[in-house]
Amino acid sequence: MSGLLNFILIPLGAAFLVALTGNRMKKAGNFIFILAAFLLCALSLYLVKSVGAQKIILFKAGGWLPPLGISMVADGLAVLVLVTVNIVSLTVAFYSLRYMQRYTDVWKFQSLFLLMLAGMNGVILSGDLFNMYVFLEVASISAYALVAFGVEPEGLEASFRYLVMGSLASIFVLLGIALLYGYCSTLNMADIALVLSSNPKGLLVGFVAVLFLAGLGLKAAIVPFHAWLPDAHSSAPSPVSAMLSGVLIKTLGIYTLARIFFNVLGVSSKTLLVLMVLGIISMAVGAIMAISQSDIKRMFAYSSISQIGYIVFALGIGTPLAIFGGLFHLFNHAMFKSLLFLNAGSIEYSTGARNLNKMGGLSRRLPVTGFTSLVGSMGISGIPPLGGFWSKLIIIIAAAQAGYIGFATIAAVVSIITLAYYLKFQSFVFFGRLNKAWDGIKEVPLSMKLPMLFLAVICVVSGILLLPCFRPLLESAGGVLVSTVQYKDAVIAAIKW
Amino acid sequence: MFNSLYRHFFKLDALSSFVALGIIVFSALTLVYSLRFMRGHKQLIQYYTYILFSALASILAVLSNNLILLLACWGFLGLTLYLLILMGEEQPAAAATAKKAFVIVGGSDSLMLLGIGILYFLTGTFWMDNIKIPLAGGGAGILPVAAYLCIAVACFAKAGAMPFHSWIPDCAETAPIPVVAFLPASLDKLLGIYLLARVSLHLFVMNQAMNTFLMVVGTFTIIAAVAMAMVQHNLKRLLGYHAVSQVGYMVLGIGTGNPIGIAGGLFHMLNNAVYKSCLFFTAGNVEYRAKTAELDELGGLAKSLPITYISCLVASLSISGVPPFNGFVSKWMIYQGLISSFQSSGSKVQALVSVFCLVVALFGSGLTLASFMKLLHAVFLGQRTNSQTQSSRNEVPLTMWLPCVILAALCVVFGIFAYQVPLKLFIFPAVEGVLFLGTWQAVVSTLLVGAGLILGLWLFNLKGVKPVMRQDTAFIGGEPVDLTEVRVTGTGFYDSVKNFGMLKSIYRKAETGCFDIYEQGKKLFSLSKVFQYLHNGVLPTYLVWMLLGMLGLFFVLAR
Repeated sequence: MSGLLNFILIPLGAAFLVALTGNRMKKAGNFIFILAAFLLCALSLYLVKSVGAQKIILFKAGGWLPPLGISMVADGLAVLVLVTVNIVSLTVAFYSLRYMQRYTDVWKFQSLFLLMLAGMNGVILSGDLFNMYVFLEVASISAYALVAFGVEPEGLEASFRYLVMGSLASIFVLLGIALLYGYCSTLNMADIALVLSSNPKGLLVGFVAVLFLAGLGLKAAIVPFHAWLPDAHSSAPSPVSAMLSGVLIKTLGIYTLARIFFNVLGVSSKTLLVLMVLGIISMAVGAIMAISQSDIKRMFAYSSISQIGYIVFALGIGTPLAIFGGLFHLFNHAMFKSLLFLNAGSIEYSTGARNLNKMGGLSRRLPVTGFTSLVGSMGISGIPPLGGFWSKLIIIIAAAQAGYIGFATIAAVVSIITLAYYLKFQSFVFFGRLNKAWDGIKEVPLSMKLPMLFLAVICVVSGILLLPCFRPLLESAGGVLVSTVQYKDAVIAAIKW
Repeated sequence: MFNSLYRHFFKLDALSSFVALGIIVFSALTLVYSLRFMRGHKQLIQYYTYILFSALASILAVLSNNLILLLACWGFLGLTLYLLILMGEEQPAAAATAKKAFVIVGGSDSLMLLGIGILYFLTGTFWMDNIKIPLAGGGAGILPVAAYLCIAVACFAKAGAMPFHSWIPDCAETAPIPVVAFLPASLDKLLGIYLLARVSLHLFVMNQAMNTFLMVVGTFTIIAAVAMAMVQHNLKRLLGYHAVSQVGYMVLGIGTGNPIGIAGGLFHMLNNAVYKSCLFFTAGNVEYRAKTAELDELGGLAKSLPITYISCLVASLSISGVPPFNGFVSKWMIYQGLISSFQSSGSKVQALVSVFCLVVALFGSGLTLASFMKLLHAVFLGQRTNSQTQSSRNEVPLTMWLPCVILAALCVVFGIFAYQVPLKLFIFPAVEGVLFLGTWQAVVSTLLVGAGLILGLWLFNLKGVKPVMRQDTAFIGGEPVDLTEVRVTGTGFYDSVKNFGMLKSIYRKAETGCFDIYEQGKKLFSLSKVFQYLHNGVLPTYLVWMLLGMLGLFFVLAR
């Protein structure tokens, strides 16, 4: 089905068109930008239905049969991440229309944004490793540029640091792919899995696993590969931060990691243990660092590290329930973290400041921002009945069910710390006495309120994904990871068919 | 379908139904009281929404038979508590208190989630009526104890037992009074003790060590909180510490592990909710009229607020355990529980602990009375301050005094007709096999007490005894002193407690937050200094980390 190609062609084409027209005709640029994001979101929702019916959709480029030709694969996992990415990107794109007016050359931003989106969609749908790498680089390089978009000293410095570390990570990934290619003589992921299942794995696979874990772990900001993230995510313009923290680290990091480890290389109990330990370290370090931050966006950035830790931990537990919870947390975190970064953007838009200690009582001046940020904070801290509660619940229950009581305890304690720093954010920024300096500020315009309200609604109701009528979305995504051979078999069957 | 869903998820037994009934009654009274008290507040719609949501979530939590549903409703209450405290008028303080309360209450919910996870690991079910596991033995090692403690911590934090109590006094001081009377004083107590009783009686088979632990926690809470209450200068904060202290009796009652003690603990939970919300409502009345809750600035309000005064007096006597009011009956049942725990004790340690707890609980009850004497004197009796010169009757509006009167009447009814009404209807169906050690004829003794009082009054009048009071001008250095300037307040006398030997340093430490788990928890975050040192923003450092991480992974995975 060639529909899959649209997910890459639309943003690529739109990026080109925006670059072409945006400079002269600002409105046309804006229109193309939003239209592309909207189309992608609609298509991804439509894809949920068709994948729900057919289980797996395969696109063969130019009619060439894989493994010789290039293929694009959409299965349950890919669809879940695709929907998450495109919902968030539509919302952020809408928000950025007004927010980015403060910057010059907005068309460059829009063009880069669409390129990044093309890269992410490509990574998700790609059926072979090398294309995955190419799209990974497309998304990463646009992200480096977007971080520096404000051309302020700290943004440039953060971008440079991100660039160096990200390129290093990409090289590791490329080296891993090259070694695998040398061993298996194929780049198609299902084919690699087939070859690896028939041949002895040997030392090489372990070596490649480490390369992937380090490279993709850096993209996902797993401790100790996370150091670029707090700088990059806090100094980028807020819509960019929302994209980076909300979806980029999940697509380039978690999704690829899950795909390669669970579906291609296959997981051993040792790998799972490594994932769990990395997850636990990330969640603890991220939370402890977050609580002592005084910059709002820096706090959120560390919080992302901590929450990514939860997802990696859940994947590392490896039971169906845990993977289900981890993927659900991935969806939820994408929603509330982008919401929180948009809130931070609104606060910055109205007050021009990011320091917690200088604020207070803003909820009276910024009611919508205050309310939506409360929803986001409660969601990420796991307060019922918001979506974040259910995913945290499933992860901790699953950890206990699998017998990892010690790890479950750490996860529970970290969630207390999470609650503490989000309440710190709430009470320092929105409650308490109003700082005289902000007496005259106004709430952000409607076009910025609407995206925040939209995400807040999703945060509140995302628990319904657990209801029987919506559960297949998450279950089919989890099913892809639970059984190691399912992806390989499904893809090979789809090729023959 | 609705009916089957209901039967699936909920369970209405004697214990949960009377707690649910209590929740409904207290919610209704709070709503009535708020009509006038909260008038003019800016966010009135949100206020009533939160109150109704809290009531609904509490009822669902109590009736729930599923641990996950229970946890969801329970956790949601933390959020409404947070939002309701934020409605307080004094802004920076209210925000800080709300944050503190939610960190403690919401944080303990995470532990409860962990406890439920461990329970699921042990039993494989979330249905409460299918769970019954022994704390010790059974081959599961320490896990049942860990699960029990995790859930107990959530109960302690919700109800306010030490060491998770510190949010309650702060909350009492800054939150709007109806909120305090509603959540920390009644609903949270009902819920916390309900769940503690539920897990102790039905989900786990308790052992001696855990019972002793509960008894010690309860006793410590009683004595430490009442000692703090003694030295408070703020009416609401004082009541807040009593709200903590009373939890100790309930935990102590449940910790005795025998039917009479548990029944006493549950009855005390109900009684406490009655007289404690009455006390907070009267405090609200006082604040409404006098515009302050500082004891030093109050005095002589009995004449202008007679109904409030009588209600407060009844509730004060109840909380201090003076017969024939309800507080006496439940405390007396708890004492009996302790005595029978002593009688049936297998080991010397248990006997010793029982006796010790009994003595301390009695002593704590005495101190409660002492601190309420201070309160009554400072607020209602004593001299007026200069600012409140009007002495005419100036009672608060009907919707504000009516809840107080209803609750005070309940104190009397539950005390005098304890066997006929509350125990028979609510407590005995929930706890089986309650055996009284002695007899207490409430009606007869009430009549005797009444007769004694009448006799006393009669003698007093017969002999024509009149209080002799002489007012004279006082002089200092030859200068006449304005007596209203140097009036004796109710608090001055109790300051000597503070300066008493060893207590002095303890009080000083308590005031700086030394025993506050929240303040102490903050110190742990100095740990982040270490990590901050490592995040120095130097690119080579970060690259070294990455390399070290890779080396570690190579060591583990590529061997």
